[in-house]
Amino acid sequence: MRFCSRSAKTVFLLVLCFLLFLPSMNLSQTQERFPKPDFQSGYTRPDLLTPTPRSQLLEYLDVLVLLVALALATYFAHKLRSRRKLFVLMVFSLIYFGFFRKGCVCSIGAIQNVGYAIFNSGYAVPLTVIIFFILPLVFTLFFGRTFCAAVCPLGAVQDAVVLKPTKVPAWLAEVLGILPYIYLGLAVLFVATGAGFIICQYDPFIGFFRFGASFNMMIFGASILLLGTVVARPYCRFLCPYGVLLNWMSRLSRWHVKITPTECNKCRLCEESCPFGAIKTPNEPRYQGSKEKTVKSLAALLVMLPLFIGGGGWIVSRLDESLSRQHFTVSLAEQILLEERGESTVLTEETKAYRASGKPREELFQEAVSIQEKFRLGGWFLGGFIGLILGLKLLNLSVLRRQLEYDVDTGTCLSCGRCFAYCPFEHVRLGLITPEEAAAQGARDPEAREKNENENV
Amino acid sequence: MNKSSRILYNITKSAAVVAVVLAVILSILMIANYIQTKSVDPLNSKAIAQLLDQLQENPNDQALKEQIRALDLLARKAYFTHLWQLRTGGYLLFSFVLVFLIAFKYMSSFKSYLPDLNEAAPADVTWENKLLSRKYLIYGGLALFAIAFVLGVLSQSDINKIGRLGAAQLSAFPSVEELRENWPNFRGPEGIGIAYHAKAPTEWDGESGENIVWKTPIPQSGFNSPIIWEDKIFLSGADRRTQVVYCIEADSGKILWEHTLDDVPGSPAERPRTSEDTGFAAPTMATDGQRIYVVFATGDIGALDFEGKRIWAKNLGMPENHYGHSSSLITYRNMLLVQYDQNSGGHLLGLNARTGAILYDTPRDTDISWASPIVVNTGTRDEVILNSNPYVISYDPQTGRELWRVRCMLGEIAPSLAYTDGWVYAVNEYARLAAIDTNNPTEVAWEYIDDLSEVSSPVAAKGLLFMPSSYGTISCFDAKTGERLWLHEHEEGFYSSPILVGENVYLMDMDGLMLIFSAAREFELLKSNSLGERAMTIPAFKHGRIYIRGEKHLFCIGD
Ligand code: SF4
Repeated sequence: MRFCSRSAKTVFLLVLCFLLFLPSMNLSQTQERFPKPDFQSGYTRPDLLTPTPRSQLLEYLDVLVLLVALALATYFAHKLRSRRKLFVLMVFSLIYFGFFRKGCVCSIGAIQNVGYAIFNSGYAVPLTVIIFFILPLVFTLFFGRTFCAAVCPLGAVQDAVVLKPTKVPAWLAEVLGILPYIYLGLAVLFVATGAGFIICQYDPFIGFFRFGASFNMMIFGASILLLGTVVARPYCRFLCPYGVLLNWMSRLSRWHVKITPTECNKCRLCEESCPFGAIKTPNEPRYQGSKEKTVKSLAALLVMLPLFIGGGGWIVSRLDESLSRQHFTVSLAEQILLEERGESTVLTEETKAYRASGKPREELFQEAVSIQEKFRLGGWFLGGFIGLILGLKLLNLSVLRRQLEYDVDTGTCLSCGRCFAYCPFEHVRLGLITPEEAAAQGARDPEAREKNENENV
Repeated sequence: MNKSSRILYNITKSAAVVAVVLAVILSILMIANYIQTKSVDPLNSKAIAQLLDQLQENPNDQALKEQIRALDLLARKAYFTHLWQLRTGGYLLFSFVLVFLIAFKYMSSFKSYLPDLNEAAPADVTWENKLLSRKYLIYGGLALFAIAFVLGVLSQSDINKIGRLGAAQLSAFPSVEELRENWPNFRGPEGIGIAYHAKAPTEWDGESGENIVWKTPIPQSGFNSPIIWEDKIFLSGADRRTQVVYCIEADSGKILWEHTLDDVPGSPAERPRTSEDTGFAAPTMATDGQRIYVVFATGDIGALDFEGKRIWAKNLGMPENHYGHSSSLITYRNMLLVQYDQNSGGHLLGLNARTGAILYDTPRDTDISWASPIVVNTGTRDEVILNSNPYVISYDPQTGRELWRVRCMLGEIAPSLAYTDGWVYAVNEYARLAAIDTNNPTEVAWEYIDDLSEVSSPVAAKGLLFMPSSYGTISCFDAKTGERLWLHEHEEGFYSSPILVGENVYLMDMDGLMLIFSAAREFELLKSNSLGERAMTIPAFKHGRIYIRGEKHLFCIGD
């Protein structure tokens, strides 16, 4: 009965949140770029999809909400160790930062503003955007990824659809884990060259938050969510560029959540509890083959590291022409060339506008070439960065660190709190069982098990 | 699970099933709706386009207008209904998914995910996993870089090459000043009959040879006029079988080279029928200082370099033209513009001057015409303006987009337009002389209906307009008011067009007699000099000399 009432309470809270914010999805203000035509026929104009630039005050309100949400998430994860409260906070963040704020401003996209400001001295990045970029990183540096647990709307929308998470094989997770680094590198390269904000352009969930996007982006977003029902938070784990920075910060975090509030008796109860594969299991320092061989391969990798960096840089710098097509000027120059050669018979609006501008063709081409040169230089950095990450990952995989107990992987753990209730010592902390019982039985205790089940929202 | 929990569980389960079924059905419906609307595309309805075409022919058909409006409203309604459906569907779908998620999460809270502790703990495979991960990471990394490498090799674009070569070499086009220094096309720079920066001799005699610097026979006949770029003169000649371009040294009159434009892809085996006074080489060539361009009555068009080497040649489709194609070429920046009016409807073509590729092909709903385009800057923009029946139409020379049109012409149009100070002047025999203000191109500002030109194009400058006719009259008008200031009657008719050189107007009659009179509000004949050969072409002015193509010779006249 107690179980029923608690579940019902959670559902009630969620529905209340949803109902409270439902009108905001549609009524949140949008802005006209041009004066409205005066229709006499009674025609009502559809709402716009792009959010209004907010007033300064409201922008600071967003910052305040972010700060409070981060503080609460940290408090719930570290102090209360409550998955339920984290979940409710997550739903709030989804509604506020996702549906109400329509996914903008967001910390993930802020990477680009900050990057653009670094490479473009003429761009003054708004203070609120800087705060959105830095605040989660600072919190993560101290407390782990509580931002991912309950504040990020992109994480929240994926977390909400996790239905039957399956375990991604470790090797596959490792290979896919390289993608966020590539995405981050590309995003920085594109802002550095002025080609655009690809993180925003290819944000798979923005269409849901705004109730409208291109058909392809909707299909892309729906596919990620569909995949997310069986592979928990695929975007966060295998694409999110901000996740890379959070991962780095989290590894250095001063305090990070732990599965057990006190000690681990290796009862194995939490073994399968993490849908993100972020639990490290105890192991023995045991090498396959001789230790000497392992040391040799480690040394070889260390020697090859500069080769990875240089080779990666060289290869990616060759991609300058294909990558630079993302830049408007380059794609316009290419289209002009196609049209002039008669390879493209239909003139595009862009080329018509360009021709109408009377801008000399050679200027356009020279501009396009200088952009390509920037891409070539940037390609060296991007390729070098990917090579470095690849080398470091390989080095990391060539060493076996001793793990004595079940613990979270501080880099990948999202501090979601799912695993807490699986630990018998958590039940002791909650006063449900005695330490002796925990030591002797772990969660095989029926009452503790029921507690586990209740907590597992 | 107790009884009430079980009941709740079952209710939740049913809700989840219903929600997911509804969500799937709705998704399918929405995708079908999207695809259907995309394929029908109500905003670009073919039916409306057809009706709009009909309206062009009958602009005053009120019933047709109403029909178009009704259809347009219907199309817009369909479009917005589709938007509404998508939006409403989106909200519904969102609600179903939400119900399903809440129900499913609630149901899964009943399930345990605890490992079976009665089973032995799995073997420690951490190191094996690491090795496996390392292996696949190496494979993955290699695959990634291999794909990047292949992409890099495959995606070489020419932008780089062009940019590095210096776009100047490939795409430079002359400035307006450079064009005005030369004589790049029919009726000189911009095609409006004005010789800028030119001095010209005022006395010569073709028969005695006085002030005739040289005189070169041109093997192939043609009614096209000479064009000049620096020290080279170009003209073309053609008969049924041969189409030739000549390059003549301005200093000596020596034919430096000639190029026969043959083996043109798509050139018609059977030559078109042309009238005697049009022939096969009536259109004047054009140059942009990079290349020279030529077109013949067969529709063969080509570009040569200054050494006579062919750069490109193609056939535009044999013109259906009962006298023979005679509209001259003109360049705009790095484009070659062709007025290609035919019996079956006309086109304004914008070709890439370097490659001949068609950059735009603007259909023209006008009757056939033999006039040539002018390209002028009307204050804020460049315009290419064409004279035709029934409209004078202005286009954006860069895109071929129509800018404005004025209905004012009739009959078979041969005279090209005159232009000065933002005003355009169109004329045709049996129609009218019409003045159009390009700042207000909605109507004819003034018109005149006597002594109209049949072939010769008028010239306008200094607030005056000069119009010769094939009967031998020359009329002078106030360009703004249309008041005829004077009329001079000459014994021979004019096919050639007047050219303004400094303060004087040079106008040659069909016998080759050049009248030189003041560009003034009163008629004052300064000189008249004979060429000694019949001539109907337009004289070209450069180097302080005049180059005139007579029936048989090219003359160079200088002091
Ligand atoms: S808190 Fe536990 S369950 Fe959540 S991500 Fe970290 S290890 Fe996984």
